[in-house]
Amino acid sequence: MAADELMPSHRSHKARQAGPSMRKKSENDKKKRGVSDTKQQNPRAFSVKSAVKQKRLQARSVEKSKSDFIFRPLIVGKSLVIKSLVKHFTHQNLPEVRGPITIVTGKHIRIQFVECPNDINGMVDCAKIADLALLLIDGSYGFEMETFEFLNIMQVHGFPRVMGVLTHLDKFKDVKKLRKTKQRLKHRFWTEIYNGAKLFYLSGLIHGKYSPREVFNLSRFIKVIKYSPLTWRTSHPYVLADRLEDVTPPEKVQMDKKCDRNITLYGYLRGCNLKKGMKVHIAGVGDYSLAGVTVLPDPCPLPSAAKKKGLRDRDKLFYAPMSGIGDLLYDKDAVYININDHFVQYSKTDEGNGEPTNKGKGRDVGEELVKSLQSTKYSVDEKLEKTFINLFGKKTSAISERKLEAEDAHQSLSEGSESSEDSQSGDDLEDEGKDVESNNSKIKQKTEIHGGRMRRKAIFKDEIDESDAMDSDEDDVEEAEDVETDENEAGDAEDDSTSDSQDSDEDDVDEAEDRVLGNISKWKEPLKEKGRKKNLNLMQIVYGAPGLSATAYINENQEISDNEESDDEEFFKPKGEHSKNLGGGWDVGYLNSEDCSKFVDYGNLKNWKEKEVCEIIRDRFTTGDWSKAALRNQNSGAGDEEEDDELYGDFEDLETGEKHNINENMESGADQNEDAEVVERRLKKLALRAKFDAESNKSELEEDDNDKGDGNNPRNNQAKEPGYVDKLKEELEIRKQMNLLELNSLDEDTRIEIEGFRTGTYLRLEIHNVPYEMVDFFDPCHPVLVGGIGFGEDNAGYMQARLKKHRWHKKVLKTRDPIIVSIGWRRYQTLPVYAIEDRNGRHRMLKYTPEHMHCLAMFWGPLVPPNTGFVAFQNLSSNQSGFRITATSVVLEFNHQAHIVKKIKMVGHPCKIKKKTAFIKDMFTSDLEIARFEGSSVRTVSGIRGQVKKAGKHMLDNNAQDGIARCTFEDQIKMSDIVFLRAWTKVEVPQFYNPLTTALQPRDKTWRGMKTFGELRREQNIPVPVNKDSLYKPIERKLKKFNPLVIPKKLQGALPFESKPKDRPRRKRPPLDSRRAVVMEPEERKANAILQQFKLINKIKMNKRKAKEQEKRKAYEAQKAKNEEISKKRNREERRERYRTEDKQKKKMRRSQD
Amino acid sequence: MEKPKYKRMKGSQSFRERMLLATLSSTPIIIDEIRADDMIAGLRLHERSLLGLLDTIFDDSHIKTNLTGTQVIYEPGIVMGRKNLVHNCALTRSIGYYLEPLLLLGLFGKEPLSIRLKGITNDPKDLSVDTIRSTTLNILKRFGVAPDGGGQVLLTVPNVQTLTAVQWLEEGMVKKIRGVTFSARVSTDFEHSMRFTARGIFNNLLPDVHISQDHKAGPLAGKSPGYGISLVAETTSGCYISADTTVSCGRRDETGELDVEKQERKPPQDTGVDVASWLLQEIEKGGVVDSTHQVRLLFTLCALCQKDVSKVRVGTLSPYGVETLRNLKEFLGVTFEIKPDPLTGTVILTCLGSGLINLARKLS
Repeated sequence: MAADELMPSHRSHKARQAGPSMRKKSENDKKKRGVSDTKQQNPRAFSVKSAVKQKRLQARSVEKSKSDFIFRPLIVGKSLVIKSLVKHFTHQNLPEVRGPITIVTGKHIRIQFVECPNDINGMVDCAKIADLALLLIDGSYGFEMETFEFLNIMQVHGFPRVMGVLTHLDKFKDVKKLRKTKQRLKHRFWTEIYNGAKLFYLSGLIHGKYSPREVFNLSRFIKVIKYSPLTWRTSHPYVLADRLEDVTPPEKVQMDKKCDRNITLYGYLRGCNLKKGMKVHIAGVGDYSLAGVTVLPDPCPLPSAAKKKGLRDRDKLFYAPMSGIGDLLYDKDAVYININDHFVQYSKTDEGNGEPTNKGKGRDVGEELVKSLQSTKYSVDEKLEKTFINLFGKKTSAISERKLEAEDAHQSLSEGSESSEDSQSGDDLEDEGKDVESNNSKIKQKTEIHGGRMRRKAIFKDEIDESDAMDSDEDDVEEAEDVETDENEAGDAEDDSTSDSQDSDEDDVDEAEDRVLGNISKWKEPLKEKGRKKNLNLMQIVYGAPGLSATAYINENQEISDNEESDDEEFFKPKGEHSKNLGGGWDVGYLNSEDCSKFVDYGNLKNWKEKEVCEIIRDRFTTGDWSKAALRNQNSGAGDEEEDDELYGDFEDLETGEKHNINENMESGADQNEDAEVVERRLKKLALRAKFDAESNKSELEEDDNDKGDGNNPRNNQAKEPGYVDKLKEELEIRKQMNLLELNSLDEDTRIEIEGFRTGTYLRLEIHNVPYEMVDFFDPCHPVLVGGIGFGEDNAGYMQARLKKHRWHKKVLKTRDPIIVSIGWRRYQTLPVYAIEDRNGRHRMLKYTPEHMHCLAMFWGPLVPPNTGFVAFQNLSSNQSGFRITATSVVLEFNHQAHIVKKIKMVGHPCKIKKKTAFIKDMFTSDLEIARFEGSSVRTVSGIRGQVKKAGKHMLDNNAQDGIARCTFEDQIKMSDIVFLRAWTKVEVPQFYNPLTTALQPRDKTWRGMKTFGELRREQNIPVPVNKDSLYKPIERKLKKFNPLVIPKKLQGALPFESKPKDRPRRKRPPLDSRRAVVMEPEERKANAILQQFKLINKIKMNKRKAKEQEKRKAYEAQKAKNEEISKKRNREERRERYRTEDKQKKKMRRSQD
Repeated sequence: MEKPKYKRMKGSQSFRERMLLATLSSTPIIIDEIRADDMIAGLRLHERSLLGLLDTIFDDSHIKTNLTGTQVIYEPGIVMGRKNLVHNCALTRSIGYYLEPLLLLGLFGKEPLSIRLKGITNDPKDLSVDTIRSTTLNILKRFGVAPDGGGQVLLTVPNVQTLTAVQWLEEGMVKKIRGVTFSARVSTDFEHSMRFTARGIFNNLLPDVHISQDHKAGPLAGKSPGYGISLVAETTSGCYISADTTVSCGRRDETGELDVEKQERKPPQDTGVDVASWLLQEIEKGGVVDSTHQVRLLFTLCALCQKDVSKVRVGTLSPYGVETLRNLKEFLGVTFEIKPDPLTGTVILTCLGSGLINLARKLS
């Protein structure tokens, strides 16, 4: 497309330099609607040799195709795009897209493609792992619900990069229509993502493939796109498994097909570093702890990282085990070679038997050999086990001999009462007791040899100080001779002596062994020494032997048995000895030692009053030599290794009495010293470079901004003054480099111990006791997401979230109706209670979510850190017509208490009224309840306010019952009044959550969890319960009948006449005035007649005039309407003209922007 | 909900630390055999008091002890941190005992914590309140926290989102020594003599020594007589190295018998000399903090940091420090790389923070 080429060419993507396998992956999602797939599978596709490659793309398909196509659920467009991309990157054909496909696309770039399955679970999982989503949109059809659903899911889980791809544009015959459609879709896409989001156009198929030019463009954009770090992912490790193996012992499976399985999952580690003891969540299965994590060699190494063994080794650019491509699979202990069937011609086993006619031709030797191999009954292992190789003519096998030897050694060791193992584990208490003594004596001997110096063992807490003190005492004496070494020793007395003791332990063992084995063990000595050298390590002194843990996890069930066991053990131990041994040393630790961080012993203080003593630390004060102090700080970092070696070399001398050549060590130390300098320089360089990168990025961004904006952005100002963000970025980068430097200086094992497995390594995760369904219903088309769980995230609790019903979801959500949430790595069903915060900070429960507003939702589930977004569904089935996302939301906080309240209105009636006090019944059920509400305000319907005083039992007569409250009002109330008490009551949030187990059932089946009330009612035909009192009925008001007013006689007498009721007796007949007739005089009659006539004339006149006026008015109106019509027309013309010019201007502006 | 998995521990050692780490890593724990063999088995008064204190600042935690107090089952909740709390501390340990875990817990609370602790301010076993104010709070600042503590017993701790990692290797040179002597219900002469002798020690090395007095008499002084001194050496690189002690009398142990230490009370002159010498000893050992602080604060803080590398230098590892390192590995899975630096006789510890973030804090 022309549009693509117009895009400014991006700088080539800079991959991270450090770390052997910093990978970039993009994940693409795509979707597309069904088109008939005309492509035939190329048989040569199976012959792909360099099977390893990758890149990630997820695609979604829409299973609904237009009715005029054949229904094909997982058709095409998207898989075709992946195939085209794979073809473009690796020049190999991919027969089918299943599971992640890893492709090396550049020197430092590796991309994994994943096709997104077309169900909401797959979409959710894909959105959580995708770095880049390719949204495939059928241009001839327009957007589909799934597209928007997917966009929404991504938005909630941190928005990865999105590129749209429009396909099926060849359906348009009319060019103008095509252009219009493109424009329309592009703008709609932009409103959803951001203005200027990239949308590709794939015009059509050529030979069943997309046009190479367009695929090339697409691939270029995929390669150079930049990925933004997303909070959740940078703080949680995750693995998208590209291989799953069932490693359950086959016997177990044979015994019980439904037994829990052990599985191994393989994949690249992403996100952050994975530590060893971490728990993981397998999406759709559940939480598991990792039974084992192993680093495997990268099956698809980057060209920069891979070491070629020979010229014949070709780069492996492609790795997709689930798609059936990849000839070699590596495991921890095995390598599997896959050869496709059509490559191999199996010779028939039964050939010899079946075709005896073939005797004439003598068989080839090789053929013979193969045949014999085919007919073997026993495997090589079995054969080996049965054969013996006799070297010395004895009848026992070599293996068994060795076994015997070992056993001998073992026995004698335990007899010798000193074994390092024993002392470490502390199993054998008696032995250990002796151990300690003998150790001490040994050390004394050694020290005598060495210049007559006294040295004491210092591993035990109580002894450390002594040794410290002694050393320092001696220091005083020997100071003049050797200041430097003394300092070392004073500081490290403890280290030295601890290692001493260890050494001596080992020596004891050695001697014991020697005694037993005699000369035989001589040859082992060098080996031992090597081993010992490695053992001398502060870390091991502190943490003990690797793999040992002082405590262990136990379930509550096991507790009892454990207790019993330990009790038994305890029972047989003499009490005193027990505690003595416990007090022994650091390895065991005194269990009940005082919990006190202060560690002071005044007993062996040096005499600091003396000047010479003070001179030792003179340089630590500002009054001392500054240069020496500076040296002290400088050397420390670089000199570590060197000093270590020297130090340990020294020890060897001590213990064995042998001389070791330390010079070598010194040399290497010096080398390291230089190295350190180099490294430091490199670090600085890297930081600088990172800074530069950041700046260039920024300026690029700015450019973009400027292009978008009105063009007068003061760019120079920004560039001059680095803002807060830039500083922050720089700081981060420097910190990152520092971390890398620190960690890279460690050896591999320690590094893994400290920082865990690095991102980008290919890991094998072993997980035990997974339900068998996971293996049975495993579908490679669905991504298997394994996400690490952080601290406290496996605990369940209440979470409070700010939730908004999605505007495209048609119904509001009801409190306590189950919703399915996708939060963190998990998906689960839970029962939320919706609430809203009132002005006074109260959380008031809502029965339904507001229509267009945010509300709070409180629900129970595994905790996630605040600020994690989640998305809610009600129905997961794909044949639902509407928009499936019901709400989006973000977690605000979690608290273990739910504090949502709802309004409660208690109604009561007065049963007795005494002036302003009334006794109210029916409001409370017990006196206890009244006590709870003492002092709360009440109100009558008529508005008289009052207060609850106390339970009014004793105030009433004998017939008093429980729950009658005495209330006072501001005025006397009536018996007919109703009294209300308005209060708030706590709402319980149900403690329910149900993890979605979609991976444990066939993928096409819709997961069914708890049903909503509505669904249940519909299913069982139960009508919605109606409270009759809540119904609206026509109001019937009775006419009030008022009694006549009666004024007492006495009062009447006192009233003034005016106010007195005038009592007139009723007359039988009307008065005379009304009865009599009027007879007019003739003149009067005349005058009257004339008056009448005048009136008549006037009336007729008036009528005439009125008619005339009406006519006039009509004419006028008509005229007015006519005028208006004309003016309207004119106005419209004017307006149209104006709009046209405005539009033209706008267009001009837009064009200039583009 | 599946059953919670308990971590099992034994003995009363580093009790505070276990509770602290269990809370921060939200791991339920069971501690067994707490002084099971002692004459008076089970939890001591101050431990019970600490549990009570934790209960007040936690939400939804479950603390169960068995009848004899030899077992504690603890399921952590959320640190709430509230305002205007008051806690009466048991008299068996001083307030320093409670302050150490509180300082760290408060950081990871939902709201800023402000609590008034009532009890003994200074005693020989724990850090004195003065030292905490002068030294501990300065160390906390390194990690990007600035709590305003102090006063007698009013502690205010803000809450944070995360802690920042440190690279803290430079010990610097001691540039000044500050200190405070305190006495209650005794003559000010005691303070004078302590000051005098302590200064006498430093005179050889540094002129910049200031020791102030904090004399309390009458009702302000509390109930038991005693005196003590707390010294802090500040270096050019901003490290604080402290030493303190208290001599008091008449406190009764839980067992009912008078504490043995109390019998041999030191005269103020000797106290001054001892503490000053101890401070010099600490300086000689090297490291960016003194041995008292390396334990809880430095190591724990490093382990609680963001996922960055922290590097600190300390003098010789104290047994309690080793215990802490083990606990940190147990609870947080943070392993330290420990390298001796024989030239200076110090140890350099490197670790990658556990990346703990304050989950309880509300999103504003």
